[in-house]
Formats: sequence, C-alpha cells, structure tokens
Amino acid sequence: MTHSVTPDLSARVGSVLLKNPVMSASGTFGYGLEFMPFYDISRLGAVIVKGLSLLPTPGNPPGRIVETPAGMLNAIGLQNIGVERFVNEVAPRLDDAGAVYVANVYGRTIEEYEAVARRLSDLPGLAAIEVNASCPNVKEGGIAFGSSPGGLSGLTRRVRAATEKPLWVKLSPNVSDIGAIARAAEEAGADAVTLINTIVGMAVDPRTRRPMLSNVTGGLSGPAVKPVALRMVWEACKAVKIPVVGIGGIQSPGDALEFLLVGAAAVQVGTANFRNPNACVEIVDGIREFFVREKIFRLDDYRGTLLLRE
Amino acid sequence: MPHGSPRFVHGKILHNSGSGIFYRMEVAIPERIDFVPGQFAMVSGWPGNDPLLPRPLAIFRSGGVRGKGTVEFVYKVVGRGTALLSGLHAGDPLALTLPLGHGFEFPGEDRSWWLVGGGVGFSSVFPAAVALEGERADFEIFLGARSRDQLPPGEWIPGGAVPGRVHLCTDDGTAGFFGTAAAALRDRIDRRRSAGPSRVSILACGPREMLKAVAELALPLDIRVQVSLESSMACGFGVCWGCVTAIRDGEKSGYRRICKEGPVFDAREVVW
Repeated sequence: MTHSVTPDLSARVGSVLLKNPVMSASGTFGYGLEFMPFYDISRLGAVIVKGLSLLPTPGNPPGRIVETPAGMLNAIGLQNIGVERFVNEVAPRLDDAGAVYVANVYGRTIEEYEAVARRLSDLPGLAAIEVNASCPNVKEGGIAFGSSPGGLSGLTRRVRAATEKPLWVKLSPNVSDIGAIARAAEEAGADAVTLINTIVGMAVDPRTRRPMLSNVTGGLSGPAVKPVALRMVWEACKAVKIPVVGIGGIQSPGDALEFLLVGAAAVQVGTANFRNPNACVEIVDGIREFFVREKIFRLDDYRGTLLLRE
Repeated sequence: MPHGSPRFVHGKILHNSGSGIFYRMEVAIPERIDFVPGQFAMVSGWPGNDPLLPRPLAIFRSGGVRGKGTVEFVYKVVGRGTALLSGLHAGDPLALTLPLGHGFEFPGEDRSWWLVGGGVGFSSVFPAAVALEGERADFEIFLGARSRDQLPPGEWIPGGAVPGRVHLCTDDGTAGFFGTAAAALRDRIDRRRSAGPSRVSILACGPREMLKAVAELALPLDIRVQVSLESSMACGFGVCWGCVTAIRDGEKSGYRRICKEGPVFDAREVVW
C-alpha cells in the first residue's frame, strides 16, 4: 500500500521564512488586494507589492505596453500611490488577509530610497524591503544606481543603514557581469538579491514610423526572457552566499522548478499573473504535485541540485 | 464571493461563427455570471505563449440555468489574437476572466437614450440596447462603419425591427446615412431641438476620434455622454497599469486604468 506525504514546501530567504517558494513579482500584482476576488492571497509565499516611491507618481503617458512574441514590453513608469497611502490604506488590509508581504521601493535620489525604507520600517507586518535598483523605464527608477557595482553598492549601503528590515536588492539584467553586481549587493549588506528585472527592448510601427511605447524603450518580460533569466540566476547563485530569488518568464510549475534547481531560494511570478490571475497558486500546487510524484519531501532536498557534466 | 466580482474560469465554445468581418461566439462556463452593459472579459483560447496575452472582448449577453452559465461575445478580427479566436470551433476550450471593468450607468427614468457604436464598438453598446429594450425604454442606435460590408448583420441588432430606431451610417454612403455616426447624431440633435427639449443621454463606444466628436457635439448642449474607451490590455483587472488614459480630476488630470476605472467614463472627464 502506498500513501503520499505532503511535502514541506517552506523556503527561507535569509531570515524570512515562507510557507512556499512562490511570490508575486512587483509590478504585476498591484497591491495584492486586486487578487482577493480570485483566491486567498495568504496562500502565497509572499506578495511583493508594486514599487513605492515617497510621493505618488503619475507614471509615463500611454502607450505603455506592447505585446511581443511570447513576451511583452512595458513602460509603465512606476505609477504608484506613494508610501504614505500604502502604509495607511493598503498594509492593514494585507495584514487582515494574513498575507506575508514585501514592499518594493524606489526613489529619484538615494535620500528618497532611504526615506521610503524608513517609513516602511514602522510596519510590523512587513516581511522585507526589496530595493528596485533596476527599473529600466524611468531615469530615476534605480537603473542609474543598479547598472554598476559601485553605484549599487552605495545605494545598498545607505538603505541598509536606514532600516532594520530584511533588505532584498532587485538586480537588472542589463549589465555585462551579473555576478559582480550581485556580489556588490552582498558586500554592501543585502540579505538577498532578486533577479531579473526586465530586459530593455523596443518595438516600432513600420507604417507610422513611430515607437510603440511613449517612452520609446521598455522592459521585456514573459516566457521570452526565461532562458536569459535562468542563466543569470544560475550565475548569481554561484557568485554570492546570500539567497537568490529567481524571476523571469515563469509561467508554470516546471518553469519555477528550473529556477529552484539552479539554486534560487524562491521565485517570483510576474507576467503570468496577467494572463491567468490564478497563476501563482497553480504554480504552488504544481510544485507540490511534482514533489509528491517524485517523492521529494522537502524543498531543501531539491533546491540547487542541478547536475552538471564533469 | 461578492456578487459580480471577477473570476477566472475555463469554458467551452458552444458555437463560433462569422458573418463578414464580425464573429459571434457563445461559451459554456461553470456558473452563471451577471454583468453590467459595457463590462468585458479577458479571453484566450490558443495553445502556447504566442500571443501571450488574452484579448479584451465586450460581454454581449450572459445566461444559464441550473448552476451552469453561458456567455456570448460579438467580436471583430483585428489582429492575431482575434484571428486565432475566430478559428476555434464548438468544443474547444477557452480561458476567461470576467466580468471586468466599470460599465454604463443608467441614471433616472425619464430619459431617452442614444447609443452610438463605431466599428466593433457596437459590441459594447449592444448589451445596453438589450437592457433598454428589456426595460421598454426609449432608445435609438447609431451604427457607423466605413462601408456596408463593415456593418454588423441586421438580425444581431436589438430593436432593429422597430422603424426609426436604428440609424446605419457609412463613410462611403453604401448603406444608410452618408457620413459618420457622429454626423448622423448631429442631424438628430438638430431635429430634437426643433421638436422641443427632452432629457436624453448618450452611450458611445468606438474609435477615439468618434467619441471625441460625439462629446464635442453633445456636452455643450448639456447632454450626458458616457464613452467606453478601447485599449490593448495585459491583465484587464487593474494590476499591470498598462491601459491608462488621462482623466480630469478637479483642476488636474491623472492617469486612470481603462480596465478598472473604465472602460466607461463620463465624457466630461476624459482628456481628449
């Protein structure tokens, strides 16, 4: 007679313990509340909320999105309600929902990053702060800080000093050596790195001869970026000792398992939420079913066990 | 689950057939849904990741009995996604998120209604016509297209059998009024003036230039205008922030999501 044991999917990102390794990626999940008609958001490892700035931000003019083969370009421009409204209006509702949540933050200056991080540090329910050092769509959205090891190190060090909360740093793929960038975040005090943010891309209309996005360029996401993301997560895992959170084109349980296999401590699911609001919980369920089928009892027994030829 | 809140469901096509450039598709879904005219669904039904995103389609009708539901769409093939949808057959699976968005409002009881649909925009005003017909309300429909073959089939038009109720308008004069739906509306407004005042409200969906022309005609006469805006969308339920339009907010303006705060807006608030 056989019986199945429910596998232990719990995952640890530094000091943050997650019930499972699946999180929503910032910018693809609103403030989390928008998904409550679809499922209980406390079923997720964590909800990463839309990037927050000190003051509300209007974002870029439309057009903001373009579909591309197996992907999409966006140039939203970090439109958000600002940290004050998040703290007062959204955070209590996330607490009520029993969600583990992480705030993604950005600023036009390092001082703004510090101020947003400080304001969020008052939230007892906030699990971690994710520094957006990589948005490609606004000059001030972090790419200026995140594209060189020196810039990222300076930003990380300052935000680290401004908050007691666990600090995750979200990295850009638009760099030549992801390992060096990840190490810079680690050495400056990050508790984890998350990668990848979107890849800078472009689409033009041959008839009107105009760019499809008002910002001309945008960030590419979706299944099209997954091979690049997987390679970069693998490289980052080899370069640092802190946890690496993998993101990029994850659509299915199989995609998530690939990232865990190359060493990611957990994953974030982004664009898939747009095409299927239930994507994140379907991925959690799919990982569990895979572990049952393969007789894997704990996530930790699977994570980072990629086999390489000698 | 609150009444009318959105849900993600798997459905099965009951029928999907075309008439000229327009298609009509009925889908069986696990439960009956209620919707407000102007609300829409995000629909995908092709295998693989390309196209990646579902397509927004106005909900034309919903029904159902004994715990099972149906939903119906009238759509036009405009790109790869809708072309793939048009190639699907009875029995094929679909994924749908619905009902979505903020639909038309029907304030007061003493109004007559003018419904203006341009191109595929008619599929959004049709459910409003069906609802008004059900209420035995006074309404007229203005349907605009480039030419006769771009108009929806007559048998699809609610109230089409009632004389004077449907005004077909073609840019090339091959059917009905020779000119745009907005121009036909201007004529109608002029006739109404001579016939004395009566409270009238306009619901419109179509190309942005058409909606702007309708708003510019009607707003100075204190006619309330609701416009349903179109946009490509990634999510359809307010989380990607990709489909925004500029909306007046007091003295200032800010970006609002067409999928969430819209697609129906008061025309006075839209920054054209």
